Amino acid sequence: MTLQSAEVLRPRWNWQAIITLVVVLGVGFLVILPLVFLVEESLNTGDPMSFPPQAYGIANYLAIFDEDIRVLWNTLFIAVMATVMAILIGFALAWILTRTNVPGRAQLERLMELPYYMTPLVGALAWAVIAGPKSGFVNQLWKRAGGGGDLVDIYTHFGIAWVMALFEGTVAFVMISAAMKSMDPALEESARVMGASKLRTTLTVTLPMVMPGVMGATLFVFAEMLGSFAAALVIGIPGRIYVITTAIWDSTLAFPPDYGRASAMGLALFIVMFGMLTFYRRMISRGSFATITGKAFRPRAMDMGRLAWVLFGVCCLYVFLAVVLPIAALLFTSLQRFATVILSQAQFTLANYQTALSLGPVRTALVNSLMLGFGVASVGVLVMALLVWIIYRSQLTGRGAIEYLVMFPQAVPRLVFGLALLWAWLNIPVPIYGTLWLLALAYFTVMLPLGVRTLAGVVLQIDKSLEECARVCGAGWVYQMRTVTLPLLKPGVIAAWLLIFMACVRELGASVFLMGPNAKVIAPSIVNAFASSGTELTAAMALVQTFTVIVALVILFRLTRGVTRELT
Amino acid sequence: MSETRIEVKDLVIRYGEQVAVNGVSFTVGRGEHLTLLGPSGCGKTTTLRAIAGLEQPASGSITIDGKAMFNAAERRNVPTEQRGVSMVFQSYAVWPHMTVSDNVAYGLRVRKQAPTELKANVERALDLVQMRHLADRPASKLSGGQQQRVALARAVAFSPTVVLFDEPLSNLDAKLRAEMRVELRDLQRRLGVTSVYVTHDQEEALAISDRVIVMNVGVIEQIGTPEEIYNRPRSRFVADFVGSANLIKGKLTGEGLFVAEGGPVLKVSAAHGPSGTGNEVAVRTAYIDLAPKPGDNHVAGTVRQRLFHGDFVQYVVDSAVGPLIVRRPPTNLLEEGASVTLSFSPEHTVLLQG
Repeated sequence: MTLQSAEVLRPRWNWQAIITLVVVLGVGFLVILPLVFLVEESLNTGDPMSFPPQAYGIANYLAIFDEDIRVLWNTLFIAVMATVMAILIGFALAWILTRTNVPGRAQLERLMELPYYMTPLVGALAWAVIAGPKSGFVNQLWKRAGGGGDLVDIYTHFGIAWVMALFEGTVAFVMISAAMKSMDPALEESARVMGASKLRTTLTVTLPMVMPGVMGATLFVFAEMLGSFAAALVIGIPGRIYVITTAIWDSTLAFPPDYGRASAMGLALFIVMFGMLTFYRRMISRGSFATITGKAFRPRAMDMGRLAWVLFGVCCLYVFLAVVLPIAALLFTSLQRFATVILSQAQFTLANYQTALSLGPVRTALVNSLMLGFGVASVGVLVMALLVWIIYRSQLTGRGAIEYLVMFPQAVPRLVFGLALLWAWLNIPVPIYGTLWLLALAYFTVMLPLGVRTLAGVVLQIDKSLEECARVCGAGWVYQMRTVTLPLLKPGVIAAWLLIFMACVRELGASVFLMGPNAKVIAPSIVNAFASSGTELTAAMALVQTFTVIVALVILFRLTRGVTRELT
Repeated sequence: MSETRIEVKDLVIRYGEQVAVNGVSFTVGRGEHLTLLGPSGCGKTTTLRAIAGLEQPASGSITIDGKAMFNAAERRNVPTEQRGVSMVFQSYAVWPHMTVSDNVAYGLRVRKQAPTELKANVERALDLVQMRHLADRPASKLSGGQQQRVALARAVAFSPTVVLFDEPLSNLDAKLRAEMRVELRDLQRRLGVTSVYVTHDQEEALAISDRVIVMNVGVIEQIGTPEEIYNRPRSRFVADFVGSANLIKGKLTGEGLFVAEGGPVLKVSAAHGPSGTGNEVAVRTAYIDLAPKPGDNHVAGTVRQRLFHGDFVQYVVDSAVGPLIVRRPPTNLLEEGASVTLSFSPEHTVLLQG
């Protein structure tokens, strides 16, 4: 083996540099530009529809504390209530599943992931069916039993918080149980050896060690609650309870649409959430959090005796309330002409599914969502794999900046990002507003963090020398990618594809702004159906969507046994 | 073609502010087996990776077969895949998604070798490591030792002239490691390749090399044959890191005379030229006799401790120059408390550079 010639001795200007430049510009265009438009619009004090603005000022921001003070209060009240409930749920479940000998621990842990895939939209619809005033199932039964008035009413502050907590509880569970699992049991054991009682050990060692994890989860969940949209939309609007996200949406529906005010609210929300998430990151990355060692332990389980079955019941109750009951209620509703739990009055029919699957707009929306899911997942995964390689494997300067750029959409509430894209593409002279292309672009951008994180998990597991060895064997970069890197990435690529596909089919926050009359997608259509048609059709649509996601999920679990979702 | 296969000159490699390799120069002759030896973090692996083109040095040059592979002054850096070197990685880097023979054939496929020739070369390489019977096995279903062999076969399959070894045996258990050492030495001889080998295991370095370079904190401490390194350590670091040695402090008084702390005068050899600041000598534990021989340095002492290791016995002997460690064959055992006269030749009493 000899060297070919001296010509090969040129510096490494190459593919990598060109591709990186293209990627930086492309991602920057997608991620940052819309927000620049949004910032400009939020400062627009002239005609909100004119671009560029005729006058600048901070009137839109001041209006938040004036006209919308009620909205702020609602947002804060609901978010605090929902966070407290979600953390209680998460802490209880985490403690039961990591620290006690509850029966069927491994299976239960798996079940706890289900609410996450249920989506808050479907959950909110279901709980509206279950606990809505008058026609809600619970109230139907209550009246039947001779009760007066409504026993429960979901269209309240508490109702919104309840639904949000139920579905965010699983996030809290994952974060807190991670903190509990990463604690070395020897720390507790040594306290016991020193003569401390069980209680004393719990108070002086266990709790102080787990507390940072709980605090982190609380902060993270609270930030998510501030930006959550689906439950507030489905339950809040009929109850006339507006939070910041629904207020943003509402002001774009006014005539003429008040984009200036919506932008100001959106950016304010973004800044608060961004601040909190940054603080959260700082908190968990600080070394003082001794429980976070990255190493997972299986702490010794406490023997709970008969109580173990009670705890088992608690876990089952959560799954029942968050998954089984909602699905059952929707299923039951979707199969009737008029939803009722009084069996003697029920008229069962498949007409709702027929309508959902045959009616023009609904079917189009479903087909569009599936198409977008396929397209965005397929193209997205390729681009994201490249991004991951550049960020975590190449030697290029500026790869840290790319990572930051790619992860940025995570910090922007979906809704705000949707609004930003709406405003940007209304004013960029490329006619893709109101088409599926813009939705595809939006989906790709908001899915970047999810896809990149999933793929990075796989890339980082691949020993770097596997790639280096290919180079030493004489393979060029392209050949190495084709024969070594991409084949090794395959399981991660499949997982990322399915996760993106699922997320696209369920996407609501960005879609509500970007969907046009000729480009409908399923999640906003479900919301519209709930507002205009009956709950029966809505339930059928929600179940069709859920079913699609479940199919993808089953394939995911079959193919990649180890890939668990990452939430932070 | 010249007799020099690889020439590394004034190599400096930085990681940010940290200097991993600080001005290293050496040459490797054709067919020579050179080992870079040193503790972790000494820069040996970084140097090796720079030869392969996997690290970009800050300055210096690397030449293979007279062609500049890296030259900081000329801003020249040949990509790894065009350097024509081969490498065995510490983690083996056997591709888990391929079979054994696909792994071995990789370098040949890259070079677009014809199928029949390719098959023959793969079989030849697998025969070298006695892995032919596992050719069709998925690489993910191999034991550590088998992966090691596949990595070796893959590295030599495309007949490279230079093979780099990055601690290839460090993940094997002690017994397998000893076996592979013998096989590696044999393989190197049969293939006649030039090799640069990196290890932190001094025994391994001494056993399989023509020449050893001892490195510490990014610089070369000593270059020499295994015998030279062992018998004539240049510095305290080499004496301590390679083999086991007693270090005796004192002062050089005249030519070849050394007054040890505690009184005794020792005849020493200064292997590395005159050294005025030398105030320490090294005596290998294996070169101390327990019976006085004429012409040797003699020191009286008492056996304080005896540790029976099996292959040898280690005594700790309290003497006028402090406690000395002596390793003898496990015959004629001495009891703890016995009085002895330690005897070691001036040739093996090596004055270290200060």
